[in-house]
Amino acid sequence: MQTLLQPILISALAGSFIFLIPKRFRRIIETFSLLVALYLFVASIKIFAQSPINEKFLYVDNLSRFIVLGIGFFGCLVTLYSVRFMASYKEYRSYYSYIIWTIGGSILTAVSNNIVVFLAGWGFLGLTLYLLINIAGPRSAGTSKKTFIIIGGSDALMIMGFGIVWLIAGSLNLSDIKIAIDNSLSFWAFLLIAIGAFAKAGAMPFHTWIPDTAEDAPITVTAFLPASLDKLLGIYLLARLVLNVFILDSFTYALLMVVGAVTIVAAVMMALIQHDFKRLLGYHAVSQVGYMVLGLGTGNIIGIAGGLFHMINHAIYKCCLFLSGGSVEYKTKTSDLDSLGGLAKTMPMTFFTTLIASFAISGVPPFNGFFSKWMVYQGLVERGRSGGTLWVFCIIAAMFGSGLTLASFIKLIHAMFLGKAKDETRPTPATRNEVSWSMWLPALILATLCIIFGVFAYIIPLKYFIVPALPEGLTFIGTWPSLKATLFLIIGLGVGLLIYVAGNIRGIRETSPYIGGEEIEGDMRLSGTEFYDTIKNISILKSIYAKAERKVFDIYDQGKRLVFFFIRIFQYLHNGVLPTYLVWCLLGMIVFLFAIVR
Amino acid sequence: MLKNLFNFLVFPGFLFTATLGLVASWIDRKVTARVQWRVGPPWYQPFIDMVKLSIKEITIPKNSSKIMFLISPLLGLSAVILASTFIWLANIELGATGFTGDIIVVLYLLTLPAIALILGASSTGNPLASVGVSREIKLILAYELPFIIILCVPIIKSSGLLRLQDLIQYQTVNGAILSNLSGLLAFLVAIFCMQAKLGLVPFDAGEAETEIMAGTYIEYSGILLAILKLTKFMMMVALPLFLITVFWAGFSIWKYVVLLVIIVLIRNTNPRVRIDQAVRFFWGKMTALALIAVFLAILGK
Repeated sequence: MQTLLQPILISALAGSFIFLIPKRFRRIIETFSLLVALYLFVASIKIFAQSPINEKFLYVDNLSRFIVLGIGFFGCLVTLYSVRFMASYKEYRSYYSYIIWTIGGSILTAVSNNIVVFLAGWGFLGLTLYLLINIAGPRSAGTSKKTFIIIGGSDALMIMGFGIVWLIAGSLNLSDIKIAIDNSLSFWAFLLIAIGAFAKAGAMPFHTWIPDTAEDAPITVTAFLPASLDKLLGIYLLARLVLNVFILDSFTYALLMVVGAVTIVAAVMMALIQHDFKRLLGYHAVSQVGYMVLGLGTGNIIGIAGGLFHMINHAIYKCCLFLSGGSVEYKTKTSDLDSLGGLAKTMPMTFFTTLIASFAISGVPPFNGFFSKWMVYQGLVERGRSGGTLWVFCIIAAMFGSGLTLASFIKLIHAMFLGKAKDETRPTPATRNEVSWSMWLPALILATLCIIFGVFAYIIPLKYFIVPALPEGLTFIGTWPSLKATLFLIIGLGVGLLIYVAGNIRGIRETSPYIGGEEIEGDMRLSGTEFYDTIKNISILKSIYAKAERKVFDIYDQGKRLVFFFIRIFQYLHNGVLPTYLVWCLLGMIVFLFAIVR
Repeated sequence: MLKNLFNFLVFPGFLFTATLGLVASWIDRKVTARVQWRVGPPWYQPFIDMVKLSIKEITIPKNSSKIMFLISPLLGLSAVILASTFIWLANIELGATGFTGDIIVVLYLLTLPAIALILGASSTGNPLASVGVSREIKLILAYELPFIIILCVPIIKSSGLLRLQDLIQYQTVNGAILSNLSGLLAFLVAIFCMQAKLGLVPFDAGEAETEIMAGTYIEYSGILLAILKLTKFMMMVALPLFLITVFWAGFSIWKYVVLLVIIVLIRNTNPRVRIDQAVRFFWGKMTALALIAVFLAILGK
C-alpha cells in the first residue's frame, strides 16, 4: 500500500512546492523537478518489481504494473529534456509542477481499482493537459479549450458508462466486475467507457485535438501527454475493459476493429499532406492508435498482445520523434517543412534518432514497430480462421496504412534532414551544431529502446511486460527470428563493406551534384512537401481532402456548429424588447390554461 | 548457426542468388536484343560489367550526407540477401524451422531495398534525385495496395497459413493457388506489381534515364553503383521466386524462366507511363481486380 501511495503523495506535494520557489531561482526549480521525476521513476520501478498488490481502492496486477513503469520512465526523460527546451518559456515554473502532478495523477489512474478513484485521476489528467497546453501562451488558447471540451465531454460520457456498470454489477471495484455484453444496456456501458478511452488515446472520431495540440503546445507537452502517457492510459483502459471488465460479443469486437482500421488509414492520409512537421507527427499519433485498437479488437491472445506491445512501442518511438523534432525546432526556430533541409550534417545525433524512430513507426524490420504490427496482423489472420470477412479489409487497411506511414516519413526525413534548406533558413555558423546532451540523450535512449525492443522482442518486452499481463496461450502463426535475422542483416552489411574495400573505395572524389551539366542554383530544390501532390490531386481524394481542410470531419467543429445553431435561435428570441417577452408569457399562459381547463 | 551462415552467404543466399541474378540480367539483355533484332551480349557480360564498375572512380556529391549516401546501398543489399535466403529455404528445406520467415516478413523485407535507395538518393541533395525519390515513393504506394490485397488470397485459400513452407505444403496437397480462378486473377495482378517493384518499363518513372538521368541512381558511381545494380538483379530473382512460392506451389526452373520472359516482354513492348498514370493504374484497375480476386477467394472459387 505504501509503495503505491507514497509516489502519488510526493508528486502532489512536490508539485505544489515548486509553486513556492521564487521564479528567479530557475536552476533550483529545474534540479528539484528533475530529482522528483527521477524519484518517481525509481518508485515506479519498485512498483513494477513488486508482486501484485490488491488493496481495496488500489490494485496492481501484471497489466497495470508495466503501465506504471512506462509512466515513470517517460516522465523522467521528458523532464530531463525540458531543462533546456523550456528555458525560453516564461511559465516554466508552473510547467514543471504540472508535469510532476501529471506523473503522479497518471500513476494514480493506472493503479486505482475503485471506479471513483479512477475517474478522479482520469479527470485530473484532463485538467493538467489543459493547463500544460496553455503554457505556450495566448496562441494556444483555442486549442487548449478544444482539447478540454473534447476530453471533458468524453469523460462525462465515461462517467455515465461507469454509472451503468455500477447499476449492472453493483460494485465499484474494477477487479470484481465481470459483465457479459448480451443486452443493449451493457453494450452502451462498454461503448460510453470506450469513448472516454478513444478520446484519451485519440482514436477516430475523437482525435481532432491531437494534431492541434501537436501544432500549438510546447513540443515536450505533446511528447509527454498525447504521444506517450495518454496512449498508455487510454489503451490501458481499453485493454482492461476487453480483458477483465467485460466479456465482449462478436459485434463489439467488430466495432473495435472497424474503428481501428478507419483510424489507421484516414489519419495517415491526412498526415501525408501536412506541411508542418509537428502537425504531421500529431496525425501519426492518431493513426498508430488504430493498430492498438485493431489488435485489441481481434479478441485473440496474439492480437491483444500485439496491440499492447504496439502501445509501448508507439510511446517509445513517438516520444523520440517529438523530442527530436523539438531539437530541430529549438535550433532552427521553425517547424515548417518547406523551409527546412540538410540538417543531417549539422545535427547528426538528432538525424540518427529521427531515422531510427521513423523506421520503427513505419514498420521496417527489425525495429520494434514492425514486430508489434506483425503481431497485430497475425491476430487478424487468427481471427480469420474462425470465419468472417471483416479481417481481410482490416489487414489490408493496416498493411497499406503502414506503407503510407513510410511514405510520409520519407517526406519528413527528406524535408528536414536530407534535402536542401531554403536560403534564408540555411544554418549559419552559429547554429551549425548539435543540441546539448540533455536534449539528445533522451531521444537517443528512446531510439536505442526502439532497436532493443525490436531485436530482442521475444526475450525482453514480450517476456517481462506483455505475456505476464495476458491469459496463457500466446502462439505465433508466422515466423520472424528477430535476433538471428538482425544478426544476419548486420553480416550482410559487413559483406557489403568487404565489397567496398575490395573495390576502388580509396579513389573517392567530391564533386558538385550533376544535373546534366547545368549550374545548380539556390532555388533549385525540392523540399519534399510536394511529393504527394499527384496523389492529392486524384479526383476522389481531392474532394475528401478539401472537406477535411474545412474541418467537416472534425467532431468538435460539427458540435460547435450544432451548439451555435441553437444559440442563434435563442439569441433571436432574447431580443431584449419587453413587449415581446410579455407576448410570449401571455401565449404560454393561454396554452397552459387551455391544457388545464380542457 | 554455421549452417545458417552458409545458407546466408553462399547457398542459397548471397553468392547463389547474386550469380542467378546476373544470369537473369543476361537473359533480360539477350531477349531484349532479340526483340530489337540485335545479337545481344555473351553470357559473361554482366559479370564483366560488375568488375568494370568496381575499379571505376567513386564520386560523392558535395553537401551530401556522406554516411547515409554510402550505407544505403549496403542496407538494400543486406535486406535482399535475407529475403531471398528465407524464400529459398522455404522451397528447398520443407521442414526448416528457426531461420525462416512468413509472407508478411518477406513482404516487408522486399520493400527495404526501395527504401534504402530512396534514402541514398535523398541524401545527395541533387534536385533530379529528389524528383526520382518523389516518383519512387509514389510508385511504392501505388503498387503496394494491390500487392497487399492479392497476398490475402493465398491466406484466405489456405484458411490462415502464413509460413512460406506451410503454403508450399498446402499447395502440394491441394493444388496450386494459381489453379483457382481467384488465384489466377491475383497472380495476374501480382505480375504487374512485380514489374513496378523491379522498377522496369513501363513503371520506371523513378529512374527515367532520358528524362531525369536515372533519377535515384544519378549520383552513384563505381562500386556503389555496382552494389545497387546487384541488388536490383537479386530482386529479379527474389520477387518471381516469392510469387512462385506463394501462388505456384514452389520453385522449379521453368516456372522462373516463364516469369522472367514475361517480365522482359512487358518491358520491351511498352512505353514508360507517367507517375500519375501509374498511380491511377494501380489504385484503379489493379486494385479493383485484386478486390475481385479476394471476393472470389472468400466465396471459395
